Amino acid sequence: MLVALVDTRGEFEDLASTYLPIAIVVFALVLLGTLVPLFLFRARKPGLPSQKEEPPWLPIVYGAGLAAIVAVLITLTFNAQDKISAKVAHPGLQVNVTAAKWNWRFDYPAQHISQIGGDTTPTSLVVPTGTNIRFNLTSLDVIHSFWIPYVRFKRDAFPRRTTSFVLSFPGVGYHTAGRCAEYCGLKHDQMIFTVEVMSRSGFNAWVAQRQKGQA
Amino acid sequence: MSSATTTTLPRARGGVLGLIASTDHKNVAIRIFLTGFFFFVAGGILALLIRTELYSPGQQLVNQDHYNEIFSMHGSTMIYLFVVPISLALGIYFVPLQVGAAEIALPRLALLGWWLLIGGGITMWLGWFTQNGPGDAGWTAYDPLSDATNTPGDGMYLWIIGVMLAATSAALLSACILATVMRRRAPGMTLLRMPVFTWSMLMTSVLMIVAAPALLVAMALLFWERVYGGVFNTSGGPIAYQNLFWFFGHPVVYVMFFPFVGAVGEVIATFSRKRFFGYRAHVAALLLFTALSTSVWAHHMFATGQITVKYFSLTSTALIIPAGIEYLDLVGTMWGGRIRLGVPMAFAIGFILQFLVGGLSGIFSGSPPLDYHVTDTYFIVGHFHYTLFAGSLFGFFAAFYYWWPKVTGTFLRTGIGWVHFALLFVGANLTFFPMFFLGYDGMPRRVGDYAPQFTDLNRVSTIGAFIIALGILAWLVNIVVSLVRREPAPADPWDGHTLEWATSSPPPRHNFDRPLPPIRSYAPLFDARYGEGVGYPPPEAKRSEGAEA
Repeated sequence: MLVALVDTRGEFEDLASTYLPIAIVVFALVLLGTLVPLFLFRARKPGLPSQKEEPPWLPIVYGAGLAAIVAVLITLTFNAQDKISAKVAHPGLQVNVTAAKWNWRFDYPAQHISQIGGDTTPTSLVVPTGTNIRFNLTSLDVIHSFWIPYVRFKRDAFPRRTTSFVLSFPGVGYHTAGRCAEYCGLKHDQMIFTVEVMSRSGFNAWVAQRQKGQA
Repeated sequence: MSSATTTTLPRARGGVLGLIASTDHKNVAIRIFLTGFFFFVAGGILALLIRTELYSPGQQLVNQDHYNEIFSMHGSTMIYLFVVPISLALGIYFVPLQVGAAEIALPRLALLGWWLLIGGGITMWLGWFTQNGPGDAGWTAYDPLSDATNTPGDGMYLWIIGVMLAATSAALLSACILATVMRRRAPGMTLLRMPVFTWSMLMTSVLMIVAAPALLVAMALLFWERVYGGVFNTSGGPIAYQNLFWFFGHPVVYVMFFPFVGAVGEVIATFSRKRFFGYRAHVAALLLFTALSTSVWAHHMFATGQITVKYFSLTSTALIIPAGIEYLDLVGTMWGGRIRLGVPMAFAIGFILQFLVGGLSGIFSGSPPLDYHVTDTYFIVGHFHYTLFAGSLFGFFAAFYYWWPKVTGTFLRTGIGWVHFALLFVGANLTFFPMFFLGYDGMPRRVGDYAPQFTDLNRVSTIGAFIIALGILAWLVNIVVSLVRREPAPADPWDGHTLEWATSSPPPRHNFDRPLPPIRSYAPLFDARYGEGVGYPPPEAKRSEGAEA
């Protein structure tokens, strides 16, 4: 495949696998830094400890070290961000997402398919695997947020405004969940949808079947 | 300020008139604290209702509508009516004392600040008695959810007015602190001889004064939108509201952090018998923190897709630098000291470690590719409760146990204090740590119902919340016991470093009942006690001494 896939899940996991160990090491250092003195430097002897000031170079060297950590983290973050928000000239599929209190609608304009859920059945987003899919997201009322935990990505849906992003779904043939993540009133917690990831041929068959059904 | 004149100064008014009209900054601060404390209990009861509802999936205790009111009022109450007011109350009480002033600057303004806080709190909470209940658009009240169509009813209007009153209160109280630092410092108290807590309060005041107008504008526009419309009803309106709100909302995070890191710094220096380590670097870090914190607001909005994510990711991640320097100074003060492990010290260490968990998870969500997944989930709920509850509130308790003898002239009980600490420490971590996993696994915030897969961790969290409640009860018991069976505290029970310990406990109406010691460093009492030869004077003081001679 020539086109690079926008892999939000992969970028999240890669980045987290750098951030998390650093966080754990920092926490361990501070934990040692606060607990060790409780044993080493308890007030057993009377009198004053040494009141020597810190050497003047210490904050500067230390600050430079912190800046280096910032530089590393921000470089990794920017690289991942560039991959996630890369301009994809020819996405394999376009889906228009419309959020409204408290349901979802997925339109496939090229295929003339609309997915609309009922009162009890959540709307189903059907996507082919391994394809860059452009989503155009908007809302009809308040701000919602389109979140699919499996791909580690969410984007807010605003009224009177459309934002676009590209996602791809790794793996074949599974269901996962999606939901609204931005508090949107009474039934926010019920504003869910399902995601069905199909093989490419499976997806084409689904499209054909849906088109026949709608005709 | 000298003792000879105290007899001619007016005495503090007692009685009802004193309660409603006293402008003694110490008295005003205590009243702000009591008001904040009242709302802390009220907001805490709402928190217990939230956690009880979340003990099991489905809706058992309250319906969805009431759940939305409860979490909205929990957040609004805790932020606008508790943490911000008590942060400033600490400054209103101790900044004049620490800079050696007989009185706060603009005392009537401070009194007005307290009255506005009460007005704001009552207004916001009156919403419970309206037909549609109180404002239930979250503590952020995003438009269009908060407009008249989507959140009808008078409760939302009362909420907006309440927030405006509370924000005005905070701005006025900050102005008093700022003016006191600028105009009321005792002779010798240069800016670089101010205690770390006073420095923290100075920057807190600056941030509040910068941030509060943005909130007032946002609320005024929201009010207008609800009555007449046509403000945010454009394609860029909702994002404009968020920019305004978070331009207030992020600096206020530091309003809820600086005072406590300052107080913890004082506690650690005193209880380690050491001058505060890296004072100048600490002040520089505070200034950097303050500057950066007004340029990071949109990291709350990464998922909107409508902001320059890289800029805000860079500024947010750069907060590592000032935060790291502050942490080095806190930890460095302990190293090589003579540490007395009292209750204030325990809370101070609890603050350092738990705030760190909040801070590290914040660095995580400062990275957009990570934040896209975790924002608006329980991960974020865990993150800001680690900073605000397990962080700031532990810092507050360190300050509370440290300064209680000064304020009341009595000691709190150490035994009950340790029980308080232990319950709170266990409770806070049980409550808030599972939230990181819940959020990562897909549980959004602000929901009263959840998928069954999240049940176990939610139960742990709920049990933790009730352990916290027990810890707070232990705190109250400690207060009552100490006030009823008084153990008198001397002027300087801990061998303090700063000027608030150079007067009786509690201090008289005009603060100092004895001549101030000479102020030649940021630890004047330490100098007076141990002499100026002990790691002293700092080079800056040496130079100015030379210039005077």
